[in-house]
Amino acid sequence: MVVIARRLAGHLARGVVMILVVATISFFIVRSIPGDPIAAHTQKLIEQGMAPEAAEQATRVLYGFQATGSLWEQYGDYVAGLLTFDLGQSVTHAGAPVTEVLGEAAKWTVLPVLAGTLLSFLVGIILGVYAAVKRSGKLGDVLAVSGSLLHGVPQYVLGLLLSAIFATLIPILPGDGPVDILYEPGFNAGYIGSLAEHAVLPVATYTLAAYGGWVLAMKSSVVTVLGDDFILAAELRGMKRSIVFRYIARNAILPLFTILALSLGLLLGGAVFIERIFNYPGLGLLLIESITMRDYALMGGAFLLITVSIIVANILADLFYSVIDPRVRSGEEVSA
Amino acid sequence: MAKQAPGVRIDGLTVVYKTPAGELPAVRDVTLTLEPGTITGIVGESGSGKSTMALSLLNAVQPPGRIAAGSVEIDGLGDVVGLRGEELRKARGKHIGYVFQAAQNSLNPLKTVGKQLLDLGRSHGVDDLRGLVREAKELLGRMGLDGARVLDSHQHELSGGMRQRVGIMLALVLNAHLVVLDEPTTALDMITQANILKIVREVHAERGLTTLVITHDIGVVAEVADRLAVMYGGRLVEQGPTRHVLGAPRHPYTRGLIRAIPRLVGDIAEAQALPGRPPTLATVPKEGCVFRERCPLRMDVCDTVDPEAHADGARAVACHAVTVKEHA
Amino acid sequence: MSVLLESSSTSAAMRRNFWRGVWRVMKRKPSRLVGAVLMAGFVFMGAFGPMFYPDQLPRDPGQITRPPSWEHWLGTDDQGRDVIALVVTGSRYVLLAALVTAVITVVVGTGIGLFSGFKRGRWDTVLMRLTDMKLTIPGLPLLLVLSTVWKFSSAVQMGLVLGLLSWGGVARAVRSQTLSLRERGFIEAARGLGLSTSHIVGKELLPSMAPYIAMNMLIAITGGVYSQVGLFFLGVLPYESNNWGQMLNTAVFRSGALTVPSALGFLLGPLLAILLLTLAIVLVVDAMDEIFNPRLREE
Repeated sequence: MVVIARRLAGHLARGVVMILVVATISFFIVRSIPGDPIAAHTQKLIEQGMAPEAAEQATRVLYGFQATGSLWEQYGDYVAGLLTFDLGQSVTHAGAPVTEVLGEAAKWTVLPVLAGTLLSFLVGIILGVYAAVKRSGKLGDVLAVSGSLLHGVPQYVLGLLLSAIFATLIPILPGDGPVDILYEPGFNAGYIGSLAEHAVLPVATYTLAAYGGWVLAMKSSVVTVLGDDFILAAELRGMKRSIVFRYIARNAILPLFTILALSLGLLLGGAVFIERIFNYPGLGLLLIESITMRDYALMGGAFLLITVSIIVANILADLFYSVIDPRVRSGEEVSA
Repeated sequence: MAKQAPGVRIDGLTVVYKTPAGELPAVRDVTLTLEPGTITGIVGESGSGKSTMALSLLNAVQPPGRIAAGSVEIDGLGDVVGLRGEELRKARGKHIGYVFQAAQNSLNPLKTVGKQLLDLGRSHGVDDLRGLVREAKELLGRMGLDGARVLDSHQHELSGGMRQRVGIMLALVLNAHLVVLDEPTTALDMITQANILKIVREVHAERGLTTLVITHDIGVVAEVADRLAVMYGGRLVEQGPTRHVLGAPRHPYTRGLIRAIPRLVGDIAEAQALPGRPPTLATVPKEGCVFRERCPLRMDVCDTVDPEAHADGARAVACHAVTVKEHA
Repeated sequence: MSVLLESSSTSAAMRRNFWRGVWRVMKRKPSRLVGAVLMAGFVFMGAFGPMFYPDQLPRDPGQITRPPSWEHWLGTDDQGRDVIALVVTGSRYVLLAALVTAVITVVVGTGIGLFSGFKRGRWDTVLMRLTDMKLTIPGLPLLLVLSTVWKFSSAVQMGLVLGLLSWGGVARAVRSQTLSLRERGFIEAARGLGLSTSHIVGKELLPSMAPYIAMNMLIAITGGVYSQVGLFFLGVLPYESNNWGQMLNTAVFRSGALTVPSALGFLLGPLLAILLLTLAIVLVVDAMDEIFNPRLREE
């Protein structure tokens, strides 16, 4: 347990540094946007008849850092704001705090991404085992090639194809928005049914985008484990097939948890496309809208939150891994 | 104990491996008898087919290999080559114990030894799992280990010598009376080697086993085996009581092997390495004697005719030169 | 002199063997031949394709956003232009930018990976932490945010930015390759022979990694295509010349390809191009893997 705690501490420290780095990047990008939107905003308020101090204060509230002073003072102010979860206000959301807007959007991203990850993990692992066992046959070939193809194709291509086929050509599924506006939001069958129906295509896209990677990873992992001595040893001791199979499966799945974080990161990054295609009001759509509508505080916030989600996913995946692998648990370095 | 040490009769055993160049024999026409209650040692260089031979005893030759001809009769089991499916699985572990090379990881890295012991018990329909654990602890204690602690350990928490003892325990715990040890001491330090060999000898005697030890180390055989068989290029070239074979080797290969051992006393230069290299699956001659390329006694007949094993009392040698001398 | 002759003849024999190996691998799975042909087709399309069309593609006002027909195999766009012509003329920007991306990715990634794996120690730690960070920050959102500051006007500029953002994976892989060669005593042995560092890196390490790097470069090309097409598709960048991403954007968000089936052809054009390019590269990388990886060849 001490080992795990130490690992966690290391992760957290690195995570904080990463968040700081990303926040810094987004701060300096906003500050170097041509035309200095922050100064322009203050200027505009003053022209509208506001007193200079009041205008500065309003700008500070809006962007999360003061408009005057040197770049470094502004940066310090911004970081101080971060510590109190103050990311400024969103111009396009009637001045609502950015954190609030983000919180609203996050659920539309996190839930479908998690669902897609779980589904693709399950499907990919089962097919991966199959591809490994039948690796010299035709079907194994097909699984491997289709796996690498799907793994290679960008998510927006999959999303567009799914949408074109199932929402346009044979319109059996909705491909626009998260829910029908007909229904009263709340815990009623119509609303939940509509939610589920609208989630099918986005979740299917996430699943398809990630499953190829799982098939390939699981296949090579199973092939490696099949060659391990302890599998032959178990067979020579007359272990039941079901038990040998469990030995193979558990040992083969284990290294996949190190890829889990990678896959989650990929899907979270790809949310930008999928939410744009299916008009799903998550973090990705928020990021694009904030860019096209020049809502810079919101843009920085959305970018930061997407990155933070990836960092958190990384930490969780690694912790999970260290809990289930006895070699990590006892502090031995595993070279895999 | 109800079960007796079984005898094993290997007859005309041939194992081939499928390669791009066709099916090549790794073991060819081997005939060998393991008398009940004896320890037999098989010695050979890597690639001599000795490990394949050991796996054949459990009908466990791994693809692309297969047993092409011959039989392995084990008392109480019948011809193992004919066993399939569940019958074969139940024979493994329960009748025949197999102990892996110590350097190989023969344990599931994710499970404790105890859990794997229970898996083994369940696989073989053992009702009294408590009794099984007790038996395992006793065996481990017999080998000088703290049974309870070992059962609660993962593989990575055990040293090489400890793993090897766990391997022996797992091979014996179901009360198997035929035990195959594949390179039991390779990759262990000298003291642990000596310990393991002592354990093998003692356990063999106490439990009344028939034991087969596979090794490349002639010293190991000298230490434990009653009978010795020498393999080269998939052929059994010489066999007989250990002391006789080591004291008066007849086959030129056996002689070369013994001459290659450095002595503690005397000049190190006296130890002479065998010239040339052992053949691989692809370079084993298709006809004639497999050893002729490195043989000091090579004759014309060796190029074309594979020498048959000639029995002489308890010993047998497969060499034209030796047979000619005897008949002359 | 005779020695020289001999060595040149052996290298010629080796080359012959190599091509025989390539041929065998291709013949064993004919699909790989398809991949090679497809790839040659894309190279030809990017290099010469636009020459077959006038600078201003003909517009047909009577044929706006039409589904596929005999006249226009994949239909027409919202200005009455032929979709296939658009895909072909748009390929040059896309493929050129992707090529630049791939070259930069591979050069920077290999450089950093080699340096890191060769020097080890403090430099290695710092560089790998940096690489980890780069790999954690999601590339596409970062690109989107950057697009508010940079306008990627030319294909080369676009490739440059994409390349500078995507070397992380290659650096990681090359480093681990270098370390594994080192583990096999490769570098120490060369050192022991008194070879200079530049010789070890240039003549020993790089050639043994070349096939691997080449495969990574092909994969980087697909990455480059995906990112830039994606960026244009999202519509956050202004564009000057037509390209696949901009076609997708117009098809989806202006012609409503996801609601009106008649615009599907317009959408399908660039999608097919991307799918075929991916297929080509997957097949070629698969073939290369088998040609250069003796472990796979034996099976």
